[in-house]
Amino acid sequence: MSQEHIRNFCIIAHIDHGKSTLADRLLQLTGTISDREMQAQVLDTMDLEREKGVTIKASAVRMMHTGKDGQEYELNLIDTPGHVDFGYEVSRALAACEGALLIVDASQGMEAQTLANLYLALESDLEIIPVINKIDLPAAHPDDVAEEISNLIGSNPDEILRISAKDGTNIEAVLDVVVEKVPPPKGDPDAPLRALVFDTHYDSFKGVVAYVRLVDGKIAHQDELELMATEAVIRPVEIGVFAPDLQATKNLSTGSVGYVATGLKTVNESRVGDTFTHNEQRAEEGLPGYQEPKPMVFAGIYPVEGEDFDDLKEALEKLQLNDASLVYQAETSQALNFGFRCGFLGMFHMEIIQERLEREYDLDIIVTAPSVEYEVLMKDGKTLTIDSPAELPDEGDIEEIGEPWMEIQIFTPTDYYGAVMDVATKRRGIYVSEDYPTQGRVQLNFEIPLAELIVDFFDQLKSRTRGYASLDYQFKEYRPEDLTKLEVLVNKESVDALAAIVHKEHAYHKGQALITKLKELIPRQLFAVPIQASANGRVISRANVKALRKDVLAKCYGGDVSRKRKLLEKQKKGKKRMKMVGSVEIPQEAFLAVLRLGDD
Amino acid sequence: MSSFLGPYSLYLHIPFCRHKCGYCDFNTYAGKEDLQPDYVRALCAEITQFAEAAGERLPLHTVFFGGGTPSLLTSQQLEAILSAVSEAFELLPDNEITLEANPGTVDLASLQAMHAMGINRLSMGMQSANPAELRILERQHDFDDVVQAIDWARAVGFENINLDLIFGLPYQSIGDWQRNVELALGLNPEHLSLYNLTIEHGTPMEKQVGRGLLPEPDPDEAAEMYIWTMQHLNAEGWRHYEVSNWARPDDNGEPLACRHNLQYWRNLPYIGLGAGAHGFIGGLRVADVLGPGVYIERCLNGALRKFPRTAATASVNEIGPYTEMQETMMMGLRLLEEGVSSSDFEERFGKQLEDVFAEEIAYLRGLGLLEKHDDRWLLTGKGRMLGNQVFMQFV
Ligand SMILES: Nc1nc2c(ncn2[C@@H]2O[C@H](COP(=O)(O)OP(=O)(O)OP(=O)(O)O)[C@@H](O)[C@H]2O)c(=O)[nH]1
Ligand code: SF4
Ligand SMILES: [Mg+2]
Repeated sequence: MSQEHIRNFCIIAHIDHGKSTLADRLLQLTGTISDREMQAQVLDTMDLEREKGVTIKASAVRMMHTGKDGQEYELNLIDTPGHVDFGYEVSRALAACEGALLIVDASQGMEAQTLANLYLALESDLEIIPVINKIDLPAAHPDDVAEEISNLIGSNPDEILRISAKDGTNIEAVLDVVVEKVPPPKGDPDAPLRALVFDTHYDSFKGVVAYVRLVDGKIAHQDELELMATEAVIRPVEIGVFAPDLQATKNLSTGSVGYVATGLKTVNESRVGDTFTHNEQRAEEGLPGYQEPKPMVFAGIYPVEGEDFDDLKEALEKLQLNDASLVYQAETSQALNFGFRCGFLGMFHMEIIQERLEREYDLDIIVTAPSVEYEVLMKDGKTLTIDSPAELPDEGDIEEIGEPWMEIQIFTPTDYYGAVMDVATKRRGIYVSEDYPTQGRVQLNFEIPLAELIVDFFDQLKSRTRGYASLDYQFKEYRPEDLTKLEVLVNKESVDALAAIVHKEHAYHKGQALITKLKELIPRQLFAVPIQASANGRVISRANVKALRKDVLAKCYGGDVSRKRKLLEKQKKGKKRMKMVGSVEIPQEAFLAVLRLGDD
Repeated sequence: MSSFLGPYSLYLHIPFCRHKCGYCDFNTYAGKEDLQPDYVRALCAEITQFAEAAGERLPLHTVFFGGGTPSLLTSQQLEAILSAVSEAFELLPDNEITLEANPGTVDLASLQAMHAMGINRLSMGMQSANPAELRILERQHDFDDVVQAIDWARAVGFENINLDLIFGLPYQSIGDWQRNVELALGLNPEHLSLYNLTIEHGTPMEKQVGRGLLPEPDPDEAAEMYIWTMQHLNAEGWRHYEVSNWARPDDNGEPLACRHNLQYWRNLPYIGLGAGAHGFIGGLRVADVLGPGVYIERCLNGALRKFPRTAATASVNEIGPYTEMQETMMMGLRLLEEGVSSSDFEERFGKQLEDVFAEEIAYLRGLGLLEKHDDRWLLTGKGRMLGNQVFMQFV
């Protein structure tokens, strides 16, 4: 395919505005997928994506399309996730494209990630094509939304495409605009090869499969390639395009998007953001690549059974091959023994990793309460960075603790102004300013400690605004704060994995709430279990989990055997999923209790 | 055919009730009385089919009419079923034939007929003596009906009577429970089945508790009731031979246990016929179709099938040797005096119990839940309260 006939574009939007559904229609219209193979959000291939109806990982697909000029075009589409945690996926996709379809839900209008992703696309110099989706909805107000968009990016409101990805209205026009407006890739076919790795996934046969965007030069399947940053030299197992499944080809041409199956088994040799070049004829310099994603929240992941440690390690390695933003390193907890400290982009990301470990790798794991990264200035002048309460040094040695603060933008209908204020200020948020981007909507800007943000902030925000508010955030700075460690003792022993770092002013209140919650969550054992919380060496709160007194099936007769057996199996399984800490069985939920202390 | 020589036990299921009690999750139906005559014909047919498939008259030492409410059947219907049984099986002379009855569904004449046809044990669903509790349970009788029924039963010659009671009810205090037990004891039963209420999934009672219309019973109070019951009945000379079952000793000092149920707890073979009935025979667990309508249809039109199946068999599961050993433990440890005998186990399975379950035993002993007395593995006093912690090691 000549370069002139290639169009690389991605679809970006706020969560749920219909990116994947639009991708479905485009795939259908171009005949990339037959009607028979079609299913809703077909690019969301992961089980979890399908179940949650949310895109987690960006995916690429090549479509062939005959334009209005009668010529054949190669369209490379990248569908991106809309969730705030996955902004990093979006930024990677953008670097592989010349254009972006910015989808806006006609009933919701602009939301936080509409703006966030728009800015990312503008930074990457992409041609932005706004599209208003879901015009079929009774609550759609496309005129207002068109107005909003044009205020923002200066396009003529009448020229903005209005479509329904669901019922297929106006989809053909989307393809035409892509062909017309998205510039063809510029690269030099005769220059030494430079192909950007914008994503990877792992395949047990083909090794790491690198998703590439060819900037300069071409690749033939027998070429020897080098990854410029890691200097790994490979002969590809296979090269090809996404059609939408992997389809092997002999060549990849300048400007196009495809994959290189590297045969490599570890992520260290094949990093997202690296550049492929030819081993024989090396390019002078690699492509800019990406900034390493910065994990925001950290949590320990431990196997319930110590013997599963190696399996957990292997699973994390595999997951990292598919998810460059997951970071982890081995750690040891007094209570939970050997496990990993993992860094995540946000709480949703953490939840996804947890579920994938449990489901795809069939592991019983314990995830500890997430923590942020603190900067601890010691009296001896040293500075420590810690991301786990267990690592907090003795109070006496600490000069000052720096806590990460964020800037946040909350988008909401003006009706919920008061509710949003309340949610934010109750969590130590500081009001900064407000903007009125469009009629009836306000963007409230706050500064707030990240630690407050990761504790049910988003859930509260959603529930207090009936789901209307949306949120974006960026790191601002570390600020010295009056913090202290809240320790929890179970059966008289301190359990490091239950500890939390809290603001001194809140220590008392949180300690009490935490103990109340733990008492609810720790099931009764064969003996009574005292639990207490303490801070600064003082006990703040205590309670007793009473001993289990009676637990025996009242009836078991001939007809019952199989049923009763199943009941017992279930009970046993529940028990097995709990972590033995000392002689006490503690369920997963207890480790996350600190997140669920509620608003009162 | 299995190597087991018998004797066997036979369970017959009667899936009819006047009203479905709020806590009940048994396979039983209210308002289907008109099916009763056909059902009895179907059950007789199944009994005959079973025997034909067996190719011999298997020896029976116990028969159990369970339900549902078997006492809703007419004397003629019961008679018909029993005569099918004695044709199809070899009913041993020293047999136990139990019938479950609900107070208010029997009278002097019906009890007279039952006794005359060979039924020699009655199990009466008393549940409570307290009108408020009976209302919560949605029972269709009061305590007077129980007194009356027992009087009649004694009058016609029943010498082996069980009373079923439930404790741990919503609103029930320990005093309420003690009164129920005392009133039951006043009726001089030979046997008591005292069950802790389980709020079963899908029952109306579960919904009521879920919606807050009934308080969820406090498990600690139920524990208190259980402990009191054990102590009290022990002092009165009763034998606590199974988790929820007590019996008076007979003349030889042996508890007058329900022999039919012992067959289950010893994990010995039994035949189950009737809608939804389960059997365990020839290493197979078989279960019949649940609905009485389908059951009738199947039995009356079905062809002969391979032993131990009948036309009504809906599922067959092979119980492997290891599972059988596990179930022998899980069921056997419910027997508080008898437990599981190490030598019987070895004779039956050709393996040492202590080898097969070495890990489980060590763990449970460590927790003080299991102990060995001479040849027998038994639950400890603590183990009785926490039986599931033990049983679950054997699944
Ligand atoms: N009525 C209507 N519903 C639509 C339309 N397009 C998408 N939807 C629905 O909106 C929901 C979200 O659609 P998706 O395509 O998964 O949205 P997305 O933007 O890919 O979401 P994320 O990937 O999670 O950010 C689904 O229930 C779709 O069926 C449309 O044009 N009209
Ligand atoms: S009488 Fe017995 S079997 Fe019938 S509904 Fe009530 S509890 Fe269930
Ligand atoms: Mg999507």
